[in-house]
Amino acid sequence: MAALNTVQTPSPRPGERDAASAASRRLSGIFGSNLVGLLIAIAVFVLLFGFFANGFLSKVNLYSISRSIGIDGVIGLAMMTVLVTGGLNLGLGAIGVCSAMGVGWALQSLGLPIAVSMIFGVLLGAALGAVNGLIVVTTRLHSFVVTLATMSIFFGTMILLSGANGFNALPRVLTGFGRIRMYGVVSPLLLIMLLVAALLFYLYRYTALGREMLAAGANPFAAKLSGLPVERLFVCCHALCGGIGAIAGVMASLRNGAIVPSMAGPLGADWLLPAFLAPVLGGTLLTGGGVSVSGAVLGCVFVEIITRGLYMLQIGEFWIQTALGLVLLGAILLERGRAAMALQRSIGR
Amino acid sequence: MSRQVKSGLQVEVRGVSKAFVGVQALDNVNLTVGAGQIHALLGENGAGKSTLIKILTGVHQPDSGKVLLDGREMAFRTPREAIAAGIGVVHQERNLITRFSVAENITLEDPPTRFGLFDEAAAVAATRKWLDLLHLDTDPRTPVSRLSVAQVQLVEIAKALSLESRFLLLDEPTSSLTPHETGTLFAVLRRLAADGVTIVFVSHKLEEVFELCTHVTVLRDGRNACDSRPLAGMTRADVVRLMIGRDERAFAAPAIGTRSGPPALELRGVATGLGHKDITLQAHAGEILGLYGLVGAGRSELARAIIGAVPITAGEVRIDGKPERIRDVADAVRRLGIGYVSEDRKGDGLILAHDVAANIAATVWHRLGKFLGFVSDRMQNTTAAPFLTSLDIRTPSLAQRVGNLSGGNQQKVSVAKWLAAGSKVLIVDEPTVGIDIRSKAYLHDLILKLARDGAAVIVISSDMPELVMLADRIAVMKGFRLVDTFDNAREYTAASQRIMQAIHG
Repeated sequence: MAALNTVQTPSPRPGERDAASAASRRLSGIFGSNLVGLLIAIAVFVLLFGFFANGFLSKVNLYSISRSIGIDGVIGLAMMTVLVTGGLNLGLGAIGVCSAMGVGWALQSLGLPIAVSMIFGVLLGAALGAVNGLIVVTTRLHSFVVTLATMSIFFGTMILLSGANGFNALPRVLTGFGRIRMYGVVSPLLLIMLLVAALLFYLYRYTALGREMLAAGANPFAAKLSGLPVERLFVCCHALCGGIGAIAGVMASLRNGAIVPSMAGPLGADWLLPAFLAPVLGGTLLTGGGVSVSGAVLGCVFVEIITRGLYMLQIGEFWIQTALGLVLLGAILLERGRAAMALQRSIGR
Repeated sequence: MSRQVKSGLQVEVRGVSKAFVGVQALDNVNLTVGAGQIHALLGENGAGKSTLIKILTGVHQPDSGKVLLDGREMAFRTPREAIAAGIGVVHQERNLITRFSVAENITLEDPPTRFGLFDEAAAVAATRKWLDLLHLDTDPRTPVSRLSVAQVQLVEIAKALSLESRFLLLDEPTSSLTPHETGTLFAVLRRLAADGVTIVFVSHKLEEVFELCTHVTVLRDGRNACDSRPLAGMTRADVVRLMIGRDERAFAAPAIGTRSGPPALELRGVATGLGHKDITLQAHAGEILGLYGLVGAGRSELARAIIGAVPITAGEVRIDGKPERIRDVADAVRRLGIGYVSEDRKGDGLILAHDVAANIAATVWHRLGKFLGFVSDRMQNTTAAPFLTSLDIRTPSLAQRVGNLSGGNQQKVSVAKWLAAGSKVLIVDEPTVGIDIRSKAYLHDLILKLARDGAAVIVISSDMPELVMLADRIAVMKGFRLVDTFDNAREYTAASQRIMQAIHG
């Protein structure tokens, strides 16, 4: 098709155009996203709580916050990978707990080495996620109902197999790892979260696979007609969600020092709020095809700071839950508003 | 149709201006439509037609200027107020609820009820009247999602008619219709006008404008290029000059198909899961094969079978003479080099929310990927950038969302992604529907150029003049079968007669 390139046109030179656009894109990228807003909100609340909540800035508290950010951040990132498809995974908590239990079984019952057990757990989580994905693409049901069902199936099977007994004789190295304090305030769990975030950023920004996932999620019909293997990509997204969920499950176990079936509440449902809060606050589109890894991380930081701050102000647990629910609703409405605004602008010709 | 005599509604727009963020969409625009007149509103994409229509129908409010109906000043704040004032509109975008039946859609504003419940029988009866008027033979209980694009368009028109408005605005109502359906619609519109209904008609098809309308208003860059002139005495060239501000370019010389060697794509006795039977056709490299048929003849569906989106159940597919099995779309696109420019740009042709670069490069990411599938923005832009110049895609940048581009530029992007993929067989489905004259001529040139550069191009079009102008050979479909294939000498009368003979004879 080389001959096509010789068509002469009066349009501006591409170089000029791109340089200008790159700058404007970066600007609109920053202000169009939630990042700046989140950073400001985080700063404001840190100041507020630092001032009013006694001990908020203490080393113990900061350490504890960093640990929670680590775990909830990975939970949020896991959900983000499946929000890409325009779907969701209600069974994320169940998969996380099942995988962690798998790790415990491999370590204690099979006596496998730590590294092997970990890999086994992550593969188990990915496999459970892939099951979700396969059911979704073959039945074409919405992932809401599919994962609602598999959540019960996975969790129930795990309870049957384990007899609801946890694993509390974990190797010293592991329980010790969960207690490491770097510089007195940083938990290694936070670093794991940042590593997962970096890998996901790389995936969506710099790989063919990640770009194809986003395209398939944004418009599966168009992606399919462009020759993308949309079904396979969706299964990959679900598997990725399960694998990262498994990492979160193991991280939560490290914090607890033991692997117990009840660590994420009934059916793993305690994970749902943090799972949706972080990505949605960060600007990930619920309709699919749009993610913000850094947004999800900041969203998680914001949520943890609010939670911990309110907690230290001795506001009741239920009030905190209510507040988080309101934050989620607000974030969703904000997304709606922004989408409507973008539409207004595009039809205004 | 109700024959009660209505006083016609006289419509006047005086000095209306409207700006959107940074764009002056309308600048001091005038329009005068006499009662019972059929008035053409013309202009290229972006000239301000849609904005003017949205102001007349209460979607947008003017920054300055007046809208007068029968001499009374109107200031609609919502579309509902405009409807109440007697304005009916067929928008370019589809506004039907696809899950609802035809009857439920048509009676949506004022559903007939019985004991407080939706009265389906009454709704069906009321709906059938309007469908019959347009010769649309569809059960009113059918969900809109199961209708073809043309049927949906007719239902949309029926819905506007059912409001029995005194002023009817039609924005590209014929874009998906066959000449026959268009003829039926025009007969209905003429009768309405004779009854005193005032009609404003927007179309890119100038032949239709001359056939139907008596007066014309042309917008260019948000201003009046002419204000309510009688069409009598004006030529097509006059109108084009008003629209684009210069003379229309002469059409390039047609490609000469060379048919040496095995065909790039050959179907032998192919049947599909959708009901195609015994389809045998050949598309040679360097040649344009035109595929004509009425709506429902199974043209787009055949294209979807060739691209692998619909299973082929019998027969043989040969690519460059070799028998091949098309497993799925990815297989057809990546291994066999087949490309498909969808008729439904916004639905499954493009990812509107993503940027130009991503849309063009989507077909080749897997090939760009180096170590661990690494693809940077730079690599993607290097792939996409040449097409901005070579296809004259007007966009501020590669990072612009495709949804923000005009129809013509969107269509160029959806062609560009197949050029990037290097497709050897390219199926182009209704390439110029809803596209302005300048882009249309450009796309015609582009299709010819693609064939000359060695691609086998299959053009599906309901626009018979377009097809006769472009195609080296024409295949005619009817009822999911091929009924005729012939060499096209690009002679309109002969070709159109042969096509009509094949379909109706």
